[in-house]
Amino acid sequence: MRPSQVQIDFGTPPGTSPRTSSEFEQVHYPASHPSYSSTTEIYKHEELLPLHYMNEDTSTRRRVARGPGSSGGFMSDEHESEMHYDDEGKDVYSKLRHAKGRVSSGRVHKPPPPPPASISEFISQNLEHLPPAIYTLLSCWTRFHRIGYANTVIWDEAHFGKFGSHYLKREFYFDVHPPLGKMLVGLAGLLSGYDGHFEFKSGEVYDANVPYVAMRVMMATFGVALVPLGWYTAVELGMSSWACHLVALMVLCDVAWLCISRFILLDSMLLFFTFTTVFFLTKFHNQQYQSFSFDWWMWLAFTGISIGCVTSVKWIGLFVTAVVGLYTIEDLWEKFGDLRMSNRDQIRHWTARVLCLILLPITVYMISFKMHFLILNHSGPGDSTMSSLFQAQLVGNDFATNPRDVAFGSKLTLKGMGWGGGLLHSHVQTYPVGSTQQQITCYHYKDDNNHWTVLPTWEEPEYNPNSELRFLQNGDVIRLQHVATTRNLHSHSVAAPVTKLNNEVSCYGNSTVGDFHDYWVVEVVDDIKEGTDVSRIHSLTTRLRFRHQAMGCYLYSANAVLPPWGFKQLEVSCTKENDPEDMHTYWNVESHWNDRLPPGDAKFYKSSFFRDFWHLNVAMMTSNNALIPDPDKEDILASSPTDWPWMRLGLRMCGWGDHQPKYYLLGTPVIWWGSTVSMIAAVIVVSVYLLRQQRKYIDMTPQQWDHFLYVGKIAAYGWFLHYFPFFIMGRVTYVHHYLPTLYFSVIMFAHLLDHFIFSARWKGSTKRVAFGICAFLIVGNFWWFRGMAWGIDGPINDYWGLSLRKTWNIYNA
Amino acid sequence: MTTSMPFTRIPPFEKALDTPQASAAVVGVLTAIAFALRFYKINQPDQVVFDEVHFGKFAAYYITREYYFDVHPPFAKLLFALAGWFVGFDGHFTFENIGDSYTENHVPFVGMRALPAILGSLTVPVVYAIMKETGYSTIIAAFSACIILFDNAHIAQSRLVLLDATLILFMSLTIYSYIRFRKLRYWEFTVEWWSWLIATGFFMACTWGSKVNGILTVVTIGIAVLVDLWDILDHKKGFTMEHFWKHFMARAVGLIAVPFIIYLSFFYVHFAILTHSGAGDTFMSPAFQETLIGNELLMNSQELRYYDVVTMKHKDTKVYLHSHPDRYPMQYDDGRISSQGQQVTGYGHDDINNHWQIIPTKALPEAGRGRIVHHDDIIQLLHVNTETLLLTHDVASPLMPTNQEFTTWAKDDHSRHNDTLFYLNIVDGNHDDPWKSKSSYFKLVHGSTRVSMWTHSKQLPEWAFKQQEINGNKNPTEKSATWFVDQVISTENPEGHSVDHTPKEPKKMSFFKKFAELQLLMLQHNAGLTSSHPYASGPINWPFLISGISFWTENDEQKQIYLIGNIIGWWTCVITLSIYVGILGADLLARRRGIQPIPEAVRGRLWNSAGFFLLIWAVHYLPFFLMGRQLFIHHYLPSHLASALLAGAVLSFILSDTINYPISIAGRWTKMKHSEYADLGMRGPVAVGVFAFTMFLMFLYMAPLTYGTPGLDGETVNAKRLLSSWTLHFAAKVTAEVL
Repeated sequence: MRPSQVQIDFGTPPGTSPRTSSEFEQVHYPASHPSYSSTTEIYKHEELLPLHYMNEDTSTRRRVARGPGSSGGFMSDEHESEMHYDDEGKDVYSKLRHAKGRVSSGRVHKPPPPPPASISEFISQNLEHLPPAIYTLLSCWTRFHRIGYANTVIWDEAHFGKFGSHYLKREFYFDVHPPLGKMLVGLAGLLSGYDGHFEFKSGEVYDANVPYVAMRVMMATFGVALVPLGWYTAVELGMSSWACHLVALMVLCDVAWLCISRFILLDSMLLFFTFTTVFFLTKFHNQQYQSFSFDWWMWLAFTGISIGCVTSVKWIGLFVTAVVGLYTIEDLWEKFGDLRMSNRDQIRHWTARVLCLILLPITVYMISFKMHFLILNHSGPGDSTMSSLFQAQLVGNDFATNPRDVAFGSKLTLKGMGWGGGLLHSHVQTYPVGSTQQQITCYHYKDDNNHWTVLPTWEEPEYNPNSELRFLQNGDVIRLQHVATTRNLHSHSVAAPVTKLNNEVSCYGNSTVGDFHDYWVVEVVDDIKEGTDVSRIHSLTTRLRFRHQAMGCYLYSANAVLPPWGFKQLEVSCTKENDPEDMHTYWNVESHWNDRLPPGDAKFYKSSFFRDFWHLNVAMMTSNNALIPDPDKEDILASSPTDWPWMRLGLRMCGWGDHQPKYYLLGTPVIWWGSTVSMIAAVIVVSVYLLRQQRKYIDMTPQQWDHFLYVGKIAAYGWFLHYFPFFIMGRVTYVHHYLPTLYFSVIMFAHLLDHFIFSARWKGSTKRVAFGICAFLIVGNFWWFRGMAWGIDGPINDYWGLSLRKTWNIYNA
Repeated sequence: MTTSMPFTRIPPFEKALDTPQASAAVVGVLTAIAFALRFYKINQPDQVVFDEVHFGKFAAYYITREYYFDVHPPFAKLLFALAGWFVGFDGHFTFENIGDSYTENHVPFVGMRALPAILGSLTVPVVYAIMKETGYSTIIAAFSACIILFDNAHIAQSRLVLLDATLILFMSLTIYSYIRFRKLRYWEFTVEWWSWLIATGFFMACTWGSKVNGILTVVTIGIAVLVDLWDILDHKKGFTMEHFWKHFMARAVGLIAVPFIIYLSFFYVHFAILTHSGAGDTFMSPAFQETLIGNELLMNSQELRYYDVVTMKHKDTKVYLHSHPDRYPMQYDDGRISSQGQQVTGYGHDDINNHWQIIPTKALPEAGRGRIVHHDDIIQLLHVNTETLLLTHDVASPLMPTNQEFTTWAKDDHSRHNDTLFYLNIVDGNHDDPWKSKSSYFKLVHGSTRVSMWTHSKQLPEWAFKQQEINGNKNPTEKSATWFVDQVISTENPEGHSVDHTPKEPKKMSFFKKFAELQLLMLQHNAGLTSSHPYASGPINWPFLISGISFWTENDEQKQIYLIGNIIGWWTCVITLSIYVGILGADLLARRRGIQPIPEAVRGRLWNSAGFFLLIWAVHYLPFFLMGRQLFIHHYLPSHLASALLAGAVLSFILSDTINYPISIAGRWTKMKHSEYADLGMRGPVAVGVFAFTMFLMFLYMAPLTYGTPGLDGETVNAKRLLSSWTLHFAAKVTAEVL
C-alpha cells in the first residue's frame, strides 16, 4: 500500500518556536461577548477556534496554497517516531500541542519502503497483503461452493437471465433497471457460450445447453471481490488491523451477501460497485493534502466512474452517489472557508468535482445506454416503450413497409410522443368513476386493442371501401373507431379519473351509435421529413395533435398512472389548455394498414440518441413508480423497511418442496443485529462526546475527533441515505434492498469496536480475546446458517434451530 | 414590555407609535376589527357545515354523556360541550349530515360557534403581543397581526364548530409565554420566571389537548429548550453542573410534569362525563366497555357452556360464521383444485345456518361449573343444520393460495377427527378465564396446522352467493383473526345461567388503564385515516394556496363556503420566508469568506428570534410530508401563523438595520451594552398601511366564499377563482370557442 505523503512536509520542525495564533484563521466572535473579553490571550485563542480549525487540514492546505508539489523531502527520523502516537489517543488534557500527521484511529502509517532487492524482501514488504489474499481465497470458496447445485431458475434469475438472453439475441426489451448490470449478465452468457435460447421461466429446470453454472460463477466473482474491497476500505479508513480483519470477516460471512451473489442477479454487481465507490472515496480522501496530484485525480475520477457504474446497474445506486455528494459538499464548504486558498485553486477544486463527480458519471451512464441501443438492434418485446422512429430503425420491424400516406378507412395505431408515451388503447373494461364508459389508456405493448380506424363524421356519407381514396389532411374532422369493440373515441366534460382538471376520454357508442362528441380535428404540428408544410399525414414522421371539436380540448397523455382497475396503464385525458409546445399532446401514426395503398419504401428514419435515452429513462421511471404494492394482493415476499434492521422477515427464494434445494435470503444474525445496535450506539457515543466537549472534557485531539467523525459520518450518512428513502418510496420493497445499506452499518460496527477496543488503550491480550470472541461469533453464526445460502436439502423441518425469530417463515408451519 | 429608549432625534410620529398608550390603542383597534370580522353573520349558514358533523356531534355526546371515540384529545371538544351546555343545547341533535338545518332542530348553534370565534379573535392580539415582546416595533407587530386578522382561512375556520381555533390560540399563547420566559433568563428562579415557565407548560398541554397536531408545538418548545440547555451547559459560560441540573429540573417540572398532569386531567374529565354506553363502545376493549352504563356487553354477556348453540361474528367485518350445503367447485378459475367440501363463508345476515354448537373433546361433569368452556380448551364446532363439524386442512382457499380452506365434515365420520379440533384462544385470556358471549374476543386456532380462522372483505364468486371468504391464516399474530360470540341461541341446562336483564352495576377500571387504552387507539386510528378525500391536498401545495376545501354549499341561492386563505397574505409569507432563508444563506457564505455584511446585534436578532419563528414554522409543517394520513390545508394554519411572525421579522430587517435593544430583562450581573431603538422611519407605517389596506380589499373580495353569503352567480365565481386549481362550485361553464 502506498502511504500518503502527508507526513512529508508537515507539522512543526523540531526546534521551532511554538505556534502563535497568527497561524490560524480567526473566526470572528462578537467582540462584545462577555465570556471572551477577560480571558488571557492563549485561552482566547483556544476558545475562539472551533476545534476542527486546528487540524492538519487547515495547515496542510496552506502548504498546498503555495502550489502543489512545492513540498519536498522525506520525513526526518525524529518525525517518524512522532507518528507512533497510537495509544496516546485516550490521553486527555495534553493534546493541543502539535498537529500530527495523517490521523487514524489505530493504524500506523509507514513511509514507503525502498524498492525490494530480493524476493524475500519483496515478500516481507508485502506481507500486509497476505490476509486479504487469504480472505479472498476463502470468499472464492464460499461463493463458488455448490454454486450449480440448484439446477432450476431461482427467483429473479427469471428476469435477469431472460434480459441477458435478449442481449445475446439482440432483441430490444424493456425493464425498469438501467442496462449495465444486464449487459454484464449478457456478457457472462456470451463468454460461457450461451446462445440465448432459454426462456428463464421461474422455477424451470435449466436445459442441458444453458451454461448457468458458468454464468453464476461470473456473477459470483463480483461477490468474491467484496471481501478484499471491504478489507482495503477498512485500511483506507485508518482502522487497526484487528478491525480490518473484522470487516473482511463480516463481509465474508454474511449469509445474505453470500446468497445474493450466487445467482444470476444484479445485486452482486450493485454491491460490488457500491463497495468500490466507498473504497475510491476513502482513497481520494487520503489524497486530500496532495490536491491535483496524479493520484488525487485518479481516485477522484475512479470515484466518478464508480458512481456512474453503480447507477447504471440499479437506480438504488443514487443513494451511494448521495453519500459522495454529501462528503463533497462538506469538503468544498471547508475549502470555501479557507481564506488563504487562492481563487484559482478554489475554482480548480470546484471544477474538478464538477468534472469527475457529475459529468463523468453521467457520461458513464449514457455510454451504458448507448451500448444498450447498439447491441439491441432487433425488434423485440420492448419495442413499444420507445418512440415510433426508434422502432423503425430496429431490424425485423415492419413499420417501414407501412403505407406512407394515411387515408380514410386506414387501420392504424397511434403513439403518444410525450416522454414515456404509449399506444392509444382501449379495452372492454369500463371506468369505475366518472362516466363509467369504456376505458381509454396508453399501453406499452403491442396488442389488437391498440388498433383504430379513421372514419368520417356521422353527417358525412358512410365510408365506402370502393369509393375514391380520400387522404387525411391537416384540419380534417374525423371519428376514430376502436377496431375490437367498434366504439368511438369520445370525450365529454366529465373530470378525468387522475388528472382531475382535464376532461375524461372514453370509448362510446358503436359503429352506428354516436354523437358529435366523437369528432376530433386533426392538427399537424410538423413532419420530420417535410417540415411544417405538410399536405398529407404520413405515418411515423408526422407529428399530430387531436383537438376535440366540441370542447376544444386536446387528446393528452402524460405519465399519470391509473389505479389497479385500469391495470396501471397510463391515463389518457383531454387537456383544456392549448399549449402548442406540449409534447404530451403530440401523437404519431405508428403501424398503418391499408390494402388500397401501396406499401412504403424500406427506408429507415434516424432518431437521435439523446431523445431515445431520455425517452427510455422516463419510461423506466414511470414503470418504477407503477410498482406500488397492490393492497388486494398478499405478497409474502415483500417486506417493509422496518422489517430489515432487526431481521423480522426473510425471503424464500425458490419453491419449498422437500426435494429441491432451498435458499432463504436472510443475513447472519450477529452481523445484522450487531451492526444495527452499532448505529444506535454511534448516536449515543457521539452525543456523549459532544456533551463532554461542551463541559471541556477533552477525550481526543482535534485530529482524532475529526477522524472519528469522518469514519462515523461515512457510515452514518451511508446507512441513513440507503435506508430512509425506502420509507418515502411508494414502491414495493424486498429484503434485498437492505443489502447495500448493511455495508455501512458493518463499517460503523467495526469502527466502534475499533474505537473502543482495538485502537483503545487495552492490553494486547484483551484485544486478542475480544477479537477472538467477535470472530468466533461471526464465523459460528455463518456456519450455523450456511445452508440458507448453499441450499438446504430434504424436508426443511428436519433442520433444527434455523428459525431464531418466530416471524421467519423458513419452516413449513 | 417596552423599555426605556433614548428619545433623541426621533421623529415624533414613530416615537409616539411606540409608546405603551399607542401600542394599547393599536392592539385595541386590531382586536375590535378581529371580533367584528369573526362575528359578522355568524348565524350564517344555519346549517351543519363540514366537520361540524363530527365536532358538533361530540359536543352533543358530552351533554348526553354517551361514550364516543375520536382521534383527537378531548380538551377543545369539552370546551364546545361547555359552550353548548351554557347556551342550553340539550344534545339531542346529532349533526348527521352537512346541510342539516339548525333552526328547524332548535339547536343554539350561534352560542357554540361564538366560542371558536372568540378564541380566533383573541389570536390576533396574541400575535401582536408576541411580536411586541420579541422586540419589534408597534408597526411591525401590527403587520404580523394583520396577516392573521384579514386572513380568510383563519376567519372561516374560527367561525365554525371546529377545533382549529382553539388549537391556534393556545399554540400562540404557548409561544408568547415561552418568549416571556426566555426574556427572564438573566432573572432565573424568580417568581415571574417560574410563572411564565409553568404558563408555557399549561398552554402547551391545552394545545396538545385540543388536537393531535398540538404535539408539534410540544416538539417546538422541546427543541428550543434543548438548545437553551445546551447553551447553559457550555463550559465557556462558566456555570457549574449543579446550576445546570437546577435548570434542567425546573424545565422538567414546568414543561413535562405540569403539562402531562393537565393533559391527563382532560381525559379524567372526559371519562368522568362519558359514563353511558354510546357510539364509541365498540372501539374499546370488553373490559373498558363493561365500565359504561347500559353497555350491551355488561347487560348480555354470559358464560358459555358445552353444547350451547351460538352464533359467532368476526370482530372487524361483522359477518357471521356461516355454512350451507353447497360445495366448493372442483376447479377454480385459475386452475387450482378444491377439496369440494361444504362451503364455509362469512354471511352478513341472521340465518339459522349461522348456528353452531360447541362440542367438548373431554369428559364433562354432569352439571355445574365444570361444563363452562375455558380459555385454551380444545373444542369442535358443529354446524347444527347440516350436522357437520368445522374443519380446515392443507388445501388452498378459493381466493388466496397462501391460506387454508375451511370446510365441514360429517359428524359421524371420525376419519378426520384430528382436523376438526380447534383451540379456543381468548384474546388476553388467562388460564381459567371462562368463554363469555359478547365480551370474550377469541381466535380459533386449528389444532394440527396452527392456522387461525380468518376472513377478509373479499367476496367469493357466484357459486358462494357472493358471501365472504373464510380461510385459515398462517400468521399466528394476525390481529384481524378475532371473533366473538354474538348470541346464545339455546342452551342445554337453562337453570345454569338465566340471563337477568336487571341493570347491572358498571365495573370499575383504573383511570390510567383507560387512558393508556384510549391513547393507543387514538394513535392507531389517526395513522389509519388514509382513505382519499376529494379535498385532501398534499403539504407542498399549502403555502402557495394551491387548493382549498369546499366546506358547504347551498344550491338554491348558489351559496358556498370555500376554505381558502387571503392570497396576498399567504404569498407575502412565502416570499418573506424565502427572503429569510436567502439572507441566512448569504450570511453563512459571506462569513465563510470572512465578510460580515450584517451588524452583529442585528444578526443575533435575525438568527435567534426570527430563527425561532422559522423553527416553529418548520416543526409545524415538515412532519406532514412524512404522514400517510389524509391531509387538508387547514393543517397548515399553525404554520401560517408562524410564517406571519417571520414575515414581520423580515420586514423589520428590510426596512431598517436597527433593532430595539435590550429586550430581555437585565439580571443583577448582566453587563448592559448601550441600548438601541429600531428606527424604521416613515417607510414602516406607510408600507404596513398600504399592505393592510390591500389585504383588507382582497379579504373583502373573497369574503362571500368565507362567510357563505351572499350567493354568487357563475361569472362572479369564475372571477373569484384566482388560481385555476381552486375547485369552486357553481362556476359558469367556460365554453371553449369552437373554431
